[in-house]
Amino acid sequence: MRFMLSTVLKDLARWRQDKSAILMWVGIPLLVGGLITSLMDGDGGGQPSGLLLIADQDASFISGLIAGTYSQGELGELITVEKVSLADGRERIDAGEASGLLIIPEGFGAALLDSTPVTLELKTNPSQTILPGIITEVTEVLLDAGFYANRMFAEEIALIQESASDDQAPESAVVAAIAVAFNERIESAAPLLFPPALDLEIAEPPPEAPSVSLALLFMPGIIVMAIMFAASSLAEDYWAERELGTLRRLVFAPGQLLAFVVGKALAATVLITMLAVVVLMIGFAYHDVSWDRLPLSIAWIALSGLALYVWFGVMHLLSPNRRAASLVSSIVVFPLLMAGGSFFPLAALPDWIASIGRLTPNGFVADRLTTEITSASATTGVISSATTIDVSSWLLLVMMAGAGLLLNLWRLNAGFARA
Amino acid sequence: MLEVENLVKQYGELTAVADVSFTAGAGTVFGLLGPNGAGKSTTIHCISGLLKPTAGRVAVAGFDVVAEPRQARQALGVVPQELALYEDLPAIENLRYWGKAYGLNGAGLDDRVREVLTHIGLGDRAKDLPKTFSGGMKRRLNFGCGIVHKPQLILLDEPTVGVDPQSRERLFEMVLQERDQGACVIYTTHYMEEAEKLCDSLGIIDHGKLIAQGTVDELRAELGARDVLQLSGKFPEAETKQAVAVLANNGLHDLEVLAADDDSMTLALSAGSHHLPRIFTAISEAGGVVTETSLKSASLETLFLTLTGKDLRQ
Repeated sequence: MRFMLSTVLKDLARWRQDKSAILMWVGIPLLVGGLITSLMDGDGGGQPSGLLLIADQDASFISGLIAGTYSQGELGELITVEKVSLADGRERIDAGEASGLLIIPEGFGAALLDSTPVTLELKTNPSQTILPGIITEVTEVLLDAGFYANRMFAEEIALIQESASDDQAPESAVVAAIAVAFNERIESAAPLLFPPALDLEIAEPPPEAPSVSLALLFMPGIIVMAIMFAASSLAEDYWAERELGTLRRLVFAPGQLLAFVVGKALAATVLITMLAVVVLMIGFAYHDVSWDRLPLSIAWIALSGLALYVWFGVMHLLSPNRRAASLVSSIVVFPLLMAGGSFFPLAALPDWIASIGRLTPNGFVADRLTTEITSASATTGVISSATTIDVSSWLLLVMMAGAGLLLNLWRLNAGFARA
Repeated sequence: MLEVENLVKQYGELTAVADVSFTAGAGTVFGLLGPNGAGKSTTIHCISGLLKPTAGRVAVAGFDVVAEPRQARQALGVVPQELALYEDLPAIENLRYWGKAYGLNGAGLDDRVREVLTHIGLGDRAKDLPKTFSGGMKRRLNFGCGIVHKPQLILLDEPTVGVDPQSRERLFEMVLQERDQGACVIYTTHYMEEAEKLCDSLGIIDHGKLIAQGTVDELRAELGARDVLQLSGKFPEAETKQAVAVLANNGLHDLEVLAADDDSMTLALSAGSHHLPRIFTAISEAGGVVTETSLKSASLETLFLTLTGKDLRQ
């Protein structure tokens, strides 16, 4: 027991010297997580906005109506309208200072009411692509709408324009008469404009579970990726000890091999747990996951780290040399990461691929961790200490770790330490 | 302290150690001499428990290394040929760790570690990392790690390979100090002068067989104070052997051919320098040509040559 503890402290002291490795283990998940989060949860770099210059030479009610349309609703969030003189407008659009210049010619309103041809001039900025396109589309729709409105409400529009041109507010009686006329026109046109009423039965969808961001779904896979890299590196220490000659010296000591193997595994678990604590706390804080899920998530990662470490240990101990061991580890790690949801979350994959991924050791670990941190109580803030990871999963990991430890011990005894 | 009885170690058809027997008592240094590949390290590995003997018995402090490995290993301290240190742990932590591996703890461990640090001359560098040490300092720490649990039997497998003269002298002092404190030291080497300087008794091993053993004086007496003459050149085998036989029958009674082939010849004889002209003449008359001569006076090295027909460092 004392020698086991001594081995734990010895390995921790040795790893403390290797700060670059520790920084890399912590840095990888934070870097990958940060990149993915910025891609998934970012504000998209802000909404585009453009400037539309309007040279209203008509200055009529109708031209004012058109100019005002660009500032309404969501369109108004995209486009800022600025009234300019024609000369100023041309100068600024030529200088590329705006997305577009709309020139409303004198007599536009009257021409629209008289249904005589009239030309609206729209100049767009060739250096921009999206906003000038939007302005063009909107202008075309407006002209279509104006045409049909004129067909239906020509008299009322003329009345409005006439009363507005007096620079005085129209009398109430006029407004009422216009409103009544609008209603009558709409009612008479309703059968033509609106489809026949249908009896609709509206089924309310069941209340949805709180939505989980894609970036949060990435988190378990990234953490598992980090502990896999760490576990693989830590397991390589068997080769380092063999090259140092310390494994052979250990063989000379009376019956300490088991304590040594367990001690090394515990030291690796401590390091992986520290890594898990840092990464999980940052992830929990960023994604607003309930903190009561943290202890069990850490415990799950710690146990998983132990199991992965001892199995990487088996891989290293069975390899004929250090280079082969590294190669085998790399060959195993990358396909596992790919299949096990570290490059793309299992929850976002097709069911059949996800079911294969869950069979991989890392996929199994990531899947249970995803369940733990995305369960209803984790994302709604309901306090609950109960784990959502089932007991059989915990037992499976314990058995995996135990079997791996025994294989480590057997291989060291069988000759690895004596070579 | 150490009993090796009819030790055999085979690797398939190859016999690395063949029926080796010897004993070494407390407070003595037993040297195991032999050229590279003679079977020294295999013998040491069988004693340390690193290898399981094919046949025979090894007992350390009365405990059979196969039947009672735990007790045997507790009594054993091994200083391996290659360094076996944690380069990224301070020297004192290396000693503490290996002390704990042998069950030392608490004040007993602290006292012993301090004692060993002083003993190996690293008291002032206790907290430094071995990776900052010179080769000689690392060797001393390697020695310290092997003796930190105060073993009754210390195995030193060619500990001076690649060590500077100053560190070598320091190592000799440490070995003799352990011996004086009652430990039995088994020391393998292929440096004859080390064996003569350190060892109370010796075993000479070649091709896995122990071909001679005894104290240094006993072995010298076995050689009979003969010199060893090594000749290089051209030697028609039958004619030159005949010529040497004629010389032996005509006054050089203890002249003996130890080894001979077409290119070289090794002879043992008393007062060799006085008889060189006669020997050269006889060889020349037999059709031989001597191009190079080496005459070594009686020593353990010449004993080795006498016994094996070859140089110790071959």
